[in-house]
Amino acid sequence: MLANERVGAVSGGARRGSGRVTAASAGSGLDWFNFFVANIQTGFGPFIAVYLTTQGWTQTQIGLALSVGTLAAMASQLPAGALVDAIRSKAAVALFSILAFTASAVLLALWPTPLFVYLAEVLHGFSSCTLGPAIATMSLIIAGRQALGLRLGRNARFAAIGNGVGAALMGACGYYYSSRSVFFLTAALTIVGLVPLLPLARLYGPGRPAARHDAATARHRDPVVSVLTNRALLSFAVCAMLFTLGNAAMLPLAGSFVTERAESEATLLIAAGIVLPQLVAAALSPTLGQLAEARGRRLVLFLGFSTLPIRGVLFAAFPEPGTMVLVQALDGIAGASLGIIGPLVTSDVAANSGRYNLALGFVGLMIGVGATFSTAVAGWIADAFGNSTAFMTLAAIGLAAAALVWMAMPETRPGDAGIQTISA
Amino acid sequence: MIVRWEDCIRRAFAAVALLAVISLFEGGLAQDAMPQPNPDPASSPAKANAAGPSYLEPLNPGETIGVLGKSVVAPNGEGLGLITDVIVDRTGQPRAAVIDFGGFLGVGSRKIAVDWNLLSFDPEKRDRAAVLALRRREIRAAPEYRGDATSAEMVGPPLVGPSSGDAGK
Repeated sequence: MLANERVGAVSGGARRGSGRVTAASAGSGLDWFNFFVANIQTGFGPFIAVYLTTQGWTQTQIGLALSVGTLAAMASQLPAGALVDAIRSKAAVALFSILAFTASAVLLALWPTPLFVYLAEVLHGFSSCTLGPAIATMSLIIAGRQALGLRLGRNARFAAIGNGVGAALMGACGYYYSSRSVFFLTAALTIVGLVPLLPLARLYGPGRPAARHDAATARHRDPVVSVLTNRALLSFAVCAMLFTLGNAAMLPLAGSFVTERAESEATLLIAAGIVLPQLVAAALSPTLGQLAEARGRRLVLFLGFSTLPIRGVLFAAFPEPGTMVLVQALDGIAGASLGIIGPLVTSDVAANSGRYNLALGFVGLMIGVGATFSTAVAGWIADAFGNSTAFMTLAAIGLAAAALVWMAMPETRPGDAGIQTISA
Repeated sequence: MIVRWEDCIRRAFAAVALLAVISLFEGGLAQDAMPQPNPDPASSPAKANAAGPSYLEPLNPGETIGVLGKSVVAPNGEGLGLITDVIVDRTGQPRAAVIDFGGFLGVGSRKIAVDWNLLSFDPEKRDRAAVLALRRREIRAAPEYRGDATSAEMVGPPLVGPSSGDAGK
């Protein structure tokens, strides 16, 4: 709690010009916006496959629809980032992204026919790519570069709570009502999620003092190539890709293992395996944000990534459903540290380049590549050599990611030696 | 800048309304044009306005039912999963149903093939789940079904005898 008050005080102090009331309400608006965005995203995950199955879709059709979504998201990352760089009001970007989610959820719920499902997937893929950077830039405007780590820690806390609540809510909705109702609930939540945007829209009012620390709206823009070839950004992106390659398949693999081994409590155990890491992330995120500001980004990322090899080895060594759920809780540390350090390192490197959102899109693209290949690689290994080999392989990839952070990623905390910001 | 914000909202809702109208309009068209899972043999383009097939048999809704996406429960009512495929033999007779078994929000489910004869349906109540004459513990450890594998197994009827719990192995 003390940490929260300190964050509030810091971000309040950062905006002397606009008055504390606005800053505080913008801060809590951002808190709740993070909560709702995480909440809303729950239904768009692997659950879509379940929903389309209930609608009589064949597995081939479903695979195609999901691939359309993945490809749309990957192809959108860089253009979406560039677009967000070019639009002045990030609150407007956030608004339209959320409305695209509304449209996407309504399309899925009302017309689960191929054309509209593809359209919904493309809409969702693209707007996910504009929403993430918009949130990061609003955070930068509210907190300033000096306190961004604390702000991102808070974002990660509210997003984790939103993820946990979303999983519980959507899971219950799908179980007790129907798969379709999950998307009606999602659409309803998108409308509620617009409320916390109201105070954020005033960030762009006439009295806004943001011209000082405005990564968001810099007139001058560095060349794209010099941003994307920055060594700190590149090495971070490669580390994040490697980590996700090892991480994304971990939960599905552990989940199907629990389904295979556990009795009727299997479903609840998998639900716990989804919610528990979010509780851990909610508890630790602010501390990780503070640690990133006090001790550096590299340390936090290393701590987070090093939980992945530990998790893989423990999964392989103790393949018991209950134990696996507890071990899965470690994912909360990894997820929170990646969620905080990603926008933070990118800000260290590119905040003043006028290409912050493009750089975030680049990082998102690399993470997307890692996630896409993760399930394919792990699934293949699990088929050919068994589950424990698959867990050990993912652990080895995680170890490589952690080692690469320690050895190759430069510290980018402002004021540290060896900092590499972009200057034209 | 409240004016700007409201302007944003107004434009956004206009866009959503437009999208909704287009969707409604297109929805009607798309449903006609959309290829359905069961192809219609009579749709020869040469005779666009010809009468339907020469011979029709009734397929009474109270006596028959589609199975793709149907949920499956155990005899004790416990939810097991959804039917994702039907495996037929050379003559087209169903041999097995592929069930997407277990999981939460799509995470952790497994594809398992079960003997078609163990399933019973209730065509008179279309929303009712199919009942599989096996318990959860009898199928949970069955090998994952893969369409492209060189060999596959399905869960058969429970063995009569003391060690019936291992039917899936």
